[in-house]
Amino acid sequence: MKHPIHPSEITPEALYYGRRRFIKQAVTASAAALLMGACQPEPEPMLATTTTDNVPPTAGSIKDDMGNLLTDYVSIINYTNYYEFASDKSGPTKLAQNFNTSPWTVSVGGFVRNPKTFDIVDLNSLFNQEERIYRMRCVEGWSMVIPWNGFPLKKLLDLVEPTSDAKYVRFETLFDPEQMPGQKSPIYPWPYIEGLRMDEALHDLAILSTGIYGKPLAPQNGAPIRLVIPWKYGFKSIKSIVKIDLVDEMPTSLWMASSPSEYGFYANVNPNVPHPRWSQATERRIGQDGRIDTLLFNGYEDEVADIYTDMDLTVFF
Amino acid sequence: MKISRGPLIANTLCLIPLFFLIVGYFQGSLTANPIQALTLRSGRTAVTLLLGSLACRPLSNMLGLTSLLKIRKILGLYAFFYASIHFLVFSGLDFEFNLGWILDEIRFKPFIQIGLSALILLIPLTVTSINSIRKKLGKTWQVLHRLVYFIAILVITHFLMAVKGDIIRPAVYGGVFLLLMLFRLPSLSKIKLDKKPRWLGSINKFLLS
Repeated sequence: MKHPIHPSEITPEALYYGRRRFIKQAVTASAAALLMGACQPEPEPMLATTTTDNVPPTAGSIKDDMGNLLTDYVSIINYTNYYEFASDKSGPTKLAQNFNTSPWTVSVGGFVRNPKTFDIVDLNSLFNQEERIYRMRCVEGWSMVIPWNGFPLKKLLDLVEPTSDAKYVRFETLFDPEQMPGQKSPIYPWPYIEGLRMDEALHDLAILSTGIYGKPLAPQNGAPIRLVIPWKYGFKSIKSIVKIDLVDEMPTSLWMASSPSEYGFYANVNPNVPHPRWSQATERRIGQDGRIDTLLFNGYEDEVADIYTDMDLTVFF
Repeated sequence: MKISRGPLIANTLCLIPLFFLIVGYFQGSLTANPIQALTLRSGRTAVTLLLGSLACRPLSNMLGLTSLLKIRKILGLYAFFYASIHFLVFSGLDFEFNLGWILDEIRFKPFIQIGLSALILLIPLTVTSINSIRKKLGKTWQVLHRLVYFIAILVITHFLMAVKGDIIRPAVYGGVFLLLMLFRLPSLSKIKLDKKPRWLGSINKFLLS
């Protein structure tokens, strides 16, 4: 008997390519073929459409909690900021293809009772994988809606039992210039460092992610494990983590070190704190036309505003 | 009037970036954020062409490529053309001609103020490149067009401030600009290639005919 294919098993093309681009490409591909027929026999596929596995992208919903449509998978894996590989948006997709994420360990230490080094395989099985559909707002004025797979950071921290001296969490990305050619650039103080205050790290919205759309993270998206802090600008969500330390002093992130006037420790999404380069009042949602208003704390104000009540957000930006 | 090959080739080459911008935009190959890609590319093309126009004089002096002096104006005009596209993408495509948004951008971002000043200063240079106006201006034209050096400094500063941290590309442009300025110093501007290879002469002749 043939195995019947349930409709829900079939990934809608829109999840893959985005409805608008799917239509646009179909229409323009024919026009482009006519136009460029003479010089280009076969239009090259311009975007990576799959990762190494063949798992189709799937998500529990096509919308986030505010009704925003998910960003298509192809955009998510082809438009990234990952300076360890390249400083443009499509470079990381090409340069990270052979990034080796196995074996991979994450060491968790500092002011904790049970310092421990986790194998990434164990980390994935230790905690229940949850899907979290979050808006991601880049400091550069663009945003996506991404269905992450992962687990709350709190679960990992509870396991290692932070002591009362632990005031901040410091995260570190792999430093391996052979694999990550961008790290050969002397412009930045590698490795990439990020940090959270303890209450931020323990917040339920803060997750460690190992997948997107039900697929393992693509290297350019931060494989094998990354942080996701939806109410902060994207650069806080550090990728390819090898080290997590509980510390008593505020860590200096890579961006704070390289440009302290532009990037603060908190980096909460805030339309009222202008940046010298990009618009923070509005944003462009990838795959959609037009600009939309940027929301305080990226729309997660109800969930997180109470941990910043005594702070002047324009001073602690 | 017969158009010689130099200007013909220059015009064609200068339109190629526009062609790829349009094709890329409608084909959807300008990343997932095509407006940002359009902004970056039109800006880069503009600054490249501006430096190109500034390179014509020293290259002509040094290598005897007098044909380059005939395309200097074309490169300058296309620099203005791409700078205008750059501004239209910013104000129209990106900020939807929403005056409130655009004014906010200008107010809070010094790099936009600098870039916009450069574009505004390019306008009189563009207008006065019309031959009849140029003739009427006489000596004043020369003085006015020295503004281009100042504009180039503005543009490179704008570029430098617009990048996040990868300053290599704007730094290279800055270096090229300094080099082009150096070769305008009286002592250096007289440097000539002693033995010009014959093919240089042939190229020059080809472009002039």
